Amino acid sequence: MNEIISTYNLSKRYGSTYRVNNVNLSVCEGEIYGFLGPNGAGKTTTLKMILGLTRPTGGKVTVFGKDLNENRYLVLSQTGSLIESPSYYGHLTGLENMRIVQKLRDVPDKNVEEAMKIVRLENHKDKKVSQYSLGMKQRLGIAMAILSFPKLLILDEPTNGLDPAGIGEIRELIKSLPRRYEMTVVISSHLLSEIEQTATSVGIINDGIMMFQGSMESLKNKKHPTIMIKTRNNKLAHEMLFNSGYLPTQREDFLAFENLTDEKVAQLNRILVENGIDVIRIEEHKKNLESIFLDLTGKERSL
Amino acid sequence: MGMISLELYKLRRKHLFLTVILFLFVEIGWAFIATSMSIARNPDNAGWEALIAMLSSMNGLFLPVLVAVCVSRICDMEHKGNTWKMLLTLSVRPGALYSAKYASACFIMFVPCVLQVLAIATYGIINGFGQPVPIFLLFRFLAGIVITNMTVTAFQQWVSMTVKNQAFALALGMIGGFTGMAADLFPEGIRRIFVWSYYTGLSPVTQSYTSENIQFIIRDAGSLLPVMLVLIAAGIGIYLAGCVHVTRQEV
Repeated sequence: MNEIISTYNLSKRYGSTYRVNNVNLSVCEGEIYGFLGPNGAGKTTTLKMILGLTRPTGGKVTVFGKDLNENRYLVLSQTGSLIESPSYYGHLTGLENMRIVQKLRDVPDKNVEEAMKIVRLENHKDKKVSQYSLGMKQRLGIAMAILSFPKLLILDEPTNGLDPAGIGEIRELIKSLPRRYEMTVVISSHLLSEIEQTATSVGIINDGIMMFQGSMESLKNKKHPTIMIKTRNNKLAHEMLFNSGYLPTQREDFLAFENLTDEKVAQLNRILVENGIDVIRIEEHKKNLESIFLDLTGKERSL
Repeated sequence: MGMISLELYKLRRKHLFLTVILFLFVEIGWAFIATSMSIARNPDNAGWEALIAMLSSMNGLFLPVLVAVCVSRICDMEHKGNTWKMLLTLSVRPGALYSAKYASACFIMFVPCVLQVLAIATYGIINGFGQPVPIFLLFRFLAGIVITNMTVTAFQQWVSMTVKNQAFALALGMIGGFTGMAADLFPEGIRRIFVWSYYTGLSPVTQSYTSENIQFIIRDAGSLLPVMLVLIAAGIGIYLAGCVHVTRQEV
């Protein structure tokens, strides 16, 4: 597949701190790329550099196979974006805001109508934007971003401020864009559930460093199960299994084992029973994506 | 041209023209009342020179504030809704945006300048001034305030785009108003440093007090031309410095 966005060792330093450090991001055509990371991880800074709003300290960005530095205006003419909070003229109506973008994008009236309809603002188009709720402003921002139905859409935390129903609507909208309009979508979020339900590939960034990049499938494959065993005498069982070559760890009333095959579990059970230790429970605990994410980004950070 | 019309479109419901016109009415009203009182006390003052000198002096007080208000309104809407960032992602060149804002502000401020000239002519005709309407003098008056306005606009735009809190830009406009009004009291070397002093500095008529009598002297156009050229050069310098500074800032 064609690479729509590629960054090569992209870095941004503020003072002596690297906000983005040697990030190699790759987004292919038709993907919904989820850019995930805790607050302050460097997501927005990376996206701003991709849009040319912030100059990188180091590295290079290519969009549509073209160097961003040399082709910024060409790239931007085919890219829609919503960065950080939605941008709007509060004293103007929703429709007037759309008209401003329409004039700058030089697109026909039908695009305005369709974009307003997609985000379900057609009944509020004559209301001043200052009277909109945060969710409506967010939807207006998305409408402005998709107005020209660009090849590439970059949405930075698009569900911020939306209620659960609104989040669901936006999620469905984003999922439909590659299919309906052949768009490639980059969506950033600090909410794992958002990305999990929307993205086809994912990049996880933490402290400015890309921790993981790949398909959502490959991320889910990191869900290695943990086998938890409870016996009548965990202390003796621990000693016995350790001597047999297992590496158990004590977790509350259980002994935990990582990466065990079914055969190994059966063998382990046999050892315990043959040595007169009653086995009360054998449980398989699967890791969810959240714990994978926390493993990658560090548990001490807030999500 | 498209960008300028877009800037004017964005000013919908801001009532900026109305603000400017009301402000102008206050200024003109004040100037005309003061002139009428002066004529009532001394009928010799019933001339175009006195009226132009009065308006020039009032402009020093009012126009810096009016320019600050006008520019602030034009720039603040980008700060309030975080729209500068959005415009830059719509493949708009920041330099073009900056110049469109400048051109819009200059256009809006040009309207009260023309209205002032028309008001002077109307007042003179209604009050039966002896001489015919001094077209050339009024043209020089108009040129002086337009050039000074354009320079002050460049300066105010730089401040309004750089400092988000518009109270700063408006306070600067008020300082400008005070400076513009009191400019003639400063020594010439100091006066020339302040852009606001040119509302009276480029006026074609100046006042002089001799033996407790006020005299109105028409300045030689040739002597004001170098001053105008220097102010235009300063205006271009301030505009370019502001444009480069603002457009290079990261969003």
